[in-house]
Amino acid sequence: MRLPGFWTLVLVFAWTLLFILLFVPLGTVLIASFIDKVGEPTLNNYITFIESARLRRAFVNTLVVGFAGLGGALVLGTIMAFCLTRFQIAGSRFVSMLAILALVSPPFIGAYSWIVLFGAGGVFRTFLREFGINMPTIYGVSGIVIVFSLKFYPFVYLLVSGALSNVNRSLEEAAEGLGLTPWQRTMKITFPLVLPALSAGGLLALIQAIADFGTPRLLGRGFNVLATEAFTLYSAEVGSNPSMATTISVILVLLSMFFVLVQRFFLRRNVYHGNLINKPIKIRLKGWKNLAAHLAVYAIGLAGATPVIISIIFSLRRTSGPVFQSGFALQSYERIIFGLGDVVRNSLTFSASSVILIVIIGTLIGALVARKTTLNTSLLDGALMIPFVMPGIVIGIAYITVFNTGPLVLTGTALIIILSIFIRRLPYTVRTTSSALRQIAPSMEEAAISLGYSPFQAFAKITVPLIVPGIIAGAMLSFITAINELSSSLVLYVGSTMTIPVRIYLLILDGDLGTAAALSSILLILSGAAVYIAFRFLGRNEQALL
Amino acid sequence: MAYLTVRNATKLFGESVYALRDVSISVESGEFFTLLGPSGCGKTTLLRSIAGFHDLTSGDISVNGSDLGRIPPHKRDIGMVFQDYAVFPHLSVFDNVAFGLKPRKVPAHEIKKRVPEALESVHLTALAKRLPAAMSGGQQQRIGLARAMVINPQLLLMDEPLSNLDAKLRIELREEIRDIQRKVGIATIYVTHDQEEALAISDRICVMSEGHVEQIGTPEEIYGDPQTRFVANFVGTINQLKRCPKLEEVLGMLGLSEVDASAKNASWSVRPEALVLSELAQPASGGAVAEFSGTVQKYTYLGREAHLFLNTAFGEIVVHVANPARARKHDQGETVSVRLNRQALFGFDADGARITTGKAPREGTI
Ligand SMILES: Nc1ncnc2c1ncn2[C@@H]1O[C@H](COP(=O)(O)OP(=O)(O)OP(=O)(O)O)[C@@H](O)[C@H]1O
Ligand SMILES: [Mg+2]
Repeated sequence: MRLPGFWTLVLVFAWTLLFILLFVPLGTVLIASFIDKVGEPTLNNYITFIESARLRRAFVNTLVVGFAGLGGALVLGTIMAFCLTRFQIAGSRFVSMLAILALVSPPFIGAYSWIVLFGAGGVFRTFLREFGINMPTIYGVSGIVIVFSLKFYPFVYLLVSGALSNVNRSLEEAAEGLGLTPWQRTMKITFPLVLPALSAGGLLALIQAIADFGTPRLLGRGFNVLATEAFTLYSAEVGSNPSMATTISVILVLLSMFFVLVQRFFLRRNVYHGNLINKPIKIRLKGWKNLAAHLAVYAIGLAGATPVIISIIFSLRRTSGPVFQSGFALQSYERIIFGLGDVVRNSLTFSASSVILIVIIGTLIGALVARKTTLNTSLLDGALMIPFVMPGIVIGIAYITVFNTGPLVLTGTALIIILSIFIRRLPYTVRTTSSALRQIAPSMEEAAISLGYSPFQAFAKITVPLIVPGIIAGAMLSFITAINELSSSLVLYVGSTMTIPVRIYLLILDGDLGTAAALSSILLILSGAAVYIAFRFLGRNEQALL
Repeated sequence: MAYLTVRNATKLFGESVYALRDVSISVESGEFFTLLGPSGCGKTTLLRSIAGFHDLTSGDISVNGSDLGRIPPHKRDIGMVFQDYAVFPHLSVFDNVAFGLKPRKVPAHEIKKRVPEALESVHLTALAKRLPAAMSGGQQQRIGLARAMVINPQLLLMDEPLSNLDAKLRIELREEIRDIQRKVGIATIYVTHDQEEALAISDRICVMSEGHVEQIGTPEEIYGDPQTRFVANFVGTINQLKRCPKLEEVLGMLGLSEVDASAKNASWSVRPEALVLSELAQPASGGAVAEFSGTVQKYTYLGREAHLFLNTAFGEIVVHVANPARARKHDQGETVSVRLNRQALFGFDADGARITTGKAPREGTI
């Protein structure tokens, strides 16, 4: 099929965009990692990486927290998904709302809230000490793993519960008819059917855990991971080593890419298309089983939403300077209104601008990828996987390296932050658009064509109304990611382009927890509003949040 | 001249999947033409090529003498009922059916008249206001049917439009389709893999297998005079006669020995209803008749007819007895004798092609 002119333009534009915003920055990082301080080509950075005990430890630590967080997320997410899709749980909508809260809250406020509760001077710890119980602090590896598990379990929960509620009940009934016990049935029928979703959720959790910067930074206390090392090496006033930071970036990207490929390789055949003639039903459990199921989902849901609850409560506490007093007041919000209005404004304008770009360009590219399947578009689709495996910190370092000098100087501008968010979120929109388009059976448009509509009219009258809700919902999700983005902005910001997450991060480091809590609450309200709008357009479709 | 002609259509998917091989058909105007064949034989592919959704690898298609090749699908004015329904989920049933009338600039008051009529004919009037998303497969199928018929296209293509309906509704709707089609006089190509449906409804049937045409003919020709072993097997039931001395004898009695000898590896078969129990046979009306015997294995009474499963020298054979009430019930183990005449025997050569036996096959009965 010949590409019409318009789509050729889109294709060229997409490649140009990827070239400037992705290949050049990434390539520069890659090259920089092979160049020493005086500009000579060298392998020294990689040799240093292998020789340095500290960096080796960071590498191992990254894997440890990544996989431990993944394990935790898989366990919590699967339990939650199974209980909520298969059993009648009182208040199940409330519980899944808790999961969504955990999902849309910025990662570092998780860390922050756990510090407030279980840190050195944490509320809960102090309380227990009065009874003579000396609880270990949350700092270090265990704290990071707990935060990761609770932060990332919604990925697993949402994907797996989607898959579970799509397992055709006839299949399970057939297995039952063949004499399989419930346990065998779960392992032999249900498990293989949800495995793709389970591993996709796990992959999301793993990649985010590896890339996460805020949590280990705030909770680590000497426990270093690759993301924190890269940041330190890049931004430290003393002993900074940008080329080493690029080396670590390259390793981080390779690591994520490796996991993506592994997951894809093992699941290359497992794609199931269920037809939903016979939907699964929810069983009413009795006695202790019922109690256990309720306890499990409420415990997971509440624990995951704790950061949200804590930051809202603490944002309302009376403070004197950075110190909390007893009683409640709106002082923290006052401080924001009078001192930090520009930060809020920055966040809003940056996010809105990047979302607009993402929606327009992402939808066009998505349509291109879905409809005009050629080698070229497949390559484009593949190239769009790259941002998915790029930790924010890497994008930050790459952009500041490339756009600092040369033909395009963007350092210190708002545009650089907008573009960094844009490129990271673009793949999701392309994916959702193209998969939404693929889900609309081609015969749908063909039917319109056979009834006398031109291909373009058929697209506009049939396909567009079917995908617009998805696009709007996708835009809201991009907005949530954009407004919560910390790690690349942290590298890219200057005083005048500071965003809410960056400010929260700095406030936590300064110990001004009240203002941090108030800013976090504002972020949460904005994210919550976006979720609400997304649900308005999609119905309550939680899976769409990923 | 034929209304629609498809000449030497070949469609290749990928490197080696021949969905169509050198298919040629022609459909007269007002004709009800059925494509019949097993799953995967290329029926959908042929329909989609006619509608313009597949480009043929080679061959051409013309309607009314003009080549369709360069006409884009939306200008072809060909109504299509899709195998997967393709009902628009965001439009109500009424709007789905009205959808094709809008680009045809049908005035609003006429839409208000024609759509309910179309819905009426597929028994969907009650659902007009509803969205089709949660409707059953059969209901969606009928929406698709109404939507394609309401536009009065110059050619109507239906891809198994009744496959998801229960038996009763299927028969009702197929008569409905046939009546409407006759009334409006649209040339129609109808796809099915249900042989009974094909026989009941078609002016002509095209039997396909593995991408090629096996035989084109009226239902009577397809059933009564199958040109290939495939057609004989696929349409109706057939008794394959095992080669044995008794077969030579029967062929001899019917004067077919020479024909048999001249075709290499010929095989012979006979329809169950062309076999007659000797006790019920009318006195032979001229023509050669052969007789053989068998023991009853099973007797199945079906009301209108009975099936008698016999063990014979040719292997297991079924005899259909019409009006069994007038005959005797046959017990297991009983020996019966069976007659057949020359016309009843279908001979096929090693390639499965019909062997001409020298006489018009449908002439005379026992
Ligand atoms: N788009 C395609 N790409 C590759 N192969 C195809 C494609 N469409 C059809 N085929 C193959 O072409 C052959 C004919 O398919 P077609 O859909 O025409 O069969 P059919 O006769 O309609 O079968 P059914 O009765 O099951 O609908 C099949 O072997 C099918 O696998
Ligand atoms: Mg088909």
